[in-house]
Amino acid sequence: MVNAQLPITTTPKYNFPLPQETLHPLELPKHFTKLSLLSLKPTQQKQRLSTKDTATQLPTHLRLQQSISSTELFPLTPNPIDTTIVAIDVSSIRLGETETGFLLGVRGAIVWKESKQYRYLRLGPFPFHITQRTEDEIRRLYRQDHPISRLQVRSIPQVYIIQSRLTTLLERWMQSFIIRTTRNSIILWDGSLAVDTTETPASTIKELLTAAHNNGNIILAFSKMTRLSLHGRRLTDLIFKHPPPCLLRIKEHINHFGQIRLMGNVYVAKFTKGKLAFRMDADKRRSSIEVVEAVQNLLGNDSILQSYPETLRLAHIFSTFTATEVLALQRCITQKSGLRVITTLNLRRLLFGRFGKTQKGC
Amino acid sequence: MRLYKKEGATVQIISFPNEQVRKGDYLAIEDSKHGDNLIVQVIDMEYANIPGILEELLRNYDGDSSIAGEDVDPFDVAAHIRYIQDARLLICKIRASTHNGKLIPAGSHLPARSYARIRSVSVNELLTRPDGAEGYEIRLGETAEKTHLDVDVRALDGALNIITGKKGTGKSHIAKLLVLSLISHGAPVVIFDLNGEYIGLGQDTEGKPNEFSSKIHVLTPRQNFKVTLEQVKIHVLLNILVNALHLPGTSAREFRRIWHSLEQNGTLTMGELGEAIKNWRCNQHVRDALFSRYYTLLNSRLFTDNPALATSLENALDRARSGGAIVLNLRNESTTNRHIVVEYVLGKLVELLTTRRLRAIFLFAEEAHLYLRETYWDDIVTRMRHFGVFTTFITNQPDTIRENIYRQVDNLFVLNFTNEHDIDPISRAARVDAHTVKSIVRDLLPHHCLVLGKVVNDFPMIVKIKSLDVQAMGQTRLFFPVRICALTP
Ligand SMILES: Nc1ncnc2c1ncn2[C@@H]1O[C@H](COP(=O)(O)OP(=O)(O)O)[C@@H](O)[C@H]1O
Ligand SMILES: [Mg+2]
Repeated sequence: MVNAQLPITTTPKYNFPLPQETLHPLELPKHFTKLSLLSLKPTQQKQRLSTKDTATQLPTHLRLQQSISSTELFPLTPNPIDTTIVAIDVSSIRLGETETGFLLGVRGAIVWKESKQYRYLRLGPFPFHITQRTEDEIRRLYRQDHPISRLQVRSIPQVYIIQSRLTTLLERWMQSFIIRTTRNSIILWDGSLAVDTTETPASTIKELLTAAHNNGNIILAFSKMTRLSLHGRRLTDLIFKHPPPCLLRIKEHINHFGQIRLMGNVYVAKFTKGKLAFRMDADKRRSSIEVVEAVQNLLGNDSILQSYPETLRLAHIFSTFTATEVLALQRCITQKSGLRVITTLNLRRLLFGRFGKTQKGC
Repeated sequence: MRLYKKEGATVQIISFPNEQVRKGDYLAIEDSKHGDNLIVQVIDMEYANIPGILEELLRNYDGDSSIAGEDVDPFDVAAHIRYIQDARLLICKIRASTHNGKLIPAGSHLPARSYARIRSVSVNELLTRPDGAEGYEIRLGETAEKTHLDVDVRALDGALNIITGKKGTGKSHIAKLLVLSLISHGAPVVIFDLNGEYIGLGQDTEGKPNEFSSKIHVLTPRQNFKVTLEQVKIHVLLNILVNALHLPGTSAREFRRIWHSLEQNGTLTMGELGEAIKNWRCNQHVRDALFSRYYTLLNSRLFTDNPALATSLENALDRARSGGAIVLNLRNESTTNRHIVVEYVLGKLVELLTTRRLRAIFLFAEEAHLYLRETYWDDIVTRMRHFGVFTTFITNQPDTIRENIYRQVDNLFVLNFTNEHDIDPISRAARVDAHTVKSIVRDLLPHHCLVLGKVVNDFPMIVKIKSLDVQAMGQTRLFFPVRICALTP
């Protein structure tokens, strides 16, 4: 047994995250709130925001078709040794169009699983009115030497990806906050460690991974299986031959693909029986043995439903918007700013779409 | 409030938590562009079908395994969520329209959803009475808006009314209110008082004579209510014998002959009647049949041969002619006696009405199925009504009143029913839709009544019936001194 030989580290008792100098838990919400209020301020200038292509899905998922060289399988045994699990997720939703732009809601959630208990912290929702002016404002803020700006985008965002930028802004901050305030824990992210460098500089992610490492944390990023194939065979088929729980390491040749930089190693995770498997990215600097150990601790500490860790699922649920929340946000915006929503939402999609999520992870 | 949907005569309105709306309330949907308003009544309330509400509730479920957490919600969106979650859908029925402020029957006009304004309408706006209505008001009680509800007593004139509701909800109380109102407006009233509940109408709650004491005349059979055979007309007595005492036809014909012979001899007394049956030349079966009925009449002790002991219903009615009630106390009477008394009184009323000695009479009948024979039901709503008998039926078993009575009813006072099945017969009444009755009645509070029909201009209204300063009587006799509190609906 692999586990038996590994050194057992005692997990420190969890305390609610302590603020660091640069990242007070309320600092970003405050900052976000300011930005949000600013965006909702009535404006004389009726400049229309070009909203075309706003729904463009960002290519955060890697296409690996050409690059896979080989795979390695790791059968897993859940290890119940007490380990804290923290999951982070952020959602954003388009609330409708206005005369000059569109309305957006952003919310983040952190869920802890610790001593068999779940606990959450939600930030938001934050309403935004995305107009030319907001864009300018964000541009201006990004140029300032604000402590969080180091975690921000490098390039000036284009109008049509502001939604994604705001979401990422909140997400990176929350990730950074958790990494720096948590020790010896498994930190679950939604998405992958392949970063779009137009959105987040590779150095930012590197910094986050290093900070995590220094605090004894390991980051595991989960995303839906991309259609990976190896020598003409789907990876899903490869992993389904093996009894769960197991992990399949995929070895690639390259570490960037256009604007996308691979900051982690790619695994396929199949934790339970059934048809579902997920892609899981882990820090490149972590050996497969370390990753396997972490995943075994995850399996021993979290409930797993359809190959997906419950803590991450909860973070997802806590951050996504229900149809009621969409209505409530619209109402809140109308009251705060007098803005009227022109295009009504497709509530059907909200209701029947996966938790009403439009941006990430789907 | 926002107009949401219209389907036939039903309109759905979204109402938000800060808007106070109750079942039974009236709303005006105002279309300022056309000057046309729809008057609708809230008959039911539901949760607004907010999309995703189930998800919301499940997510925020606070069960055993609930997830503790904290929210940083700088925009207080949670308050808006609660506001939306608590939005209600008002199910309303269209009752009328107004055009330039005048009430008109509901037309096909459809108000614009986008700019229609919705406001509450006070019931007194709907009960606009014609000129010259002064002096005809009667106060039923108060509405949900805490304003007095006064209706026109003339809406009871010539009318057929039903008061119904489950036991103890205040049916007799409303009947008493109507009786006293009619009396004070100078109308004559006859009450078939099954349980002796009306005998205290002339006394206040302390048992002292009240303003009505001289106008309430209680007749208790065998005590102050006895009649001579002379007073009873042959057709009335035959009705009693045939209908109440089930005398076969051949025997009835024989009885008529005996009666005529006694009449001719001027010896129409109970004593002589017995003798005559004994000596009458007829079949033994007929004689036995006649004798058994004769003894029933004798044992009823309703008949006397002494004119001085006999009661003159005519005189009593004369006294009630300009406002008064005759209470026929049927408490402690056998079924047979009740039948005899009712046959006698109704016969007498028709007689007095046809001879114009009486202009009209308001009849109150509690649980009439217990003493009113089958054939009278139709008679009361057709022939007798034509003569001027205006009946109010009071019952806790609505299915004992026939459907054709419901169809002709002018005013309906419905108190609480918990069993929906009981409401079925009422909801067939032509004056209102079944949905309204069912939805409102099951939620009526004690002493609250749904009033339908002419008295309320056909605007169904929920009224808290006012209390009365009269002896309640008729309360159920109890063994234990204090009754335990039951949950009121
Ligand atoms: N509107 C009212 N205000 C005050 N008391 C009432 C009212 N309605 C009924 N009551 C009282 O409630 C009790 C039951 O009423 P009652 O008319 O006898 O019910 P029911 O005839 O339906 O069985 C009586 O004591 C009556 O005085
Ligand atoms: Mg009663």
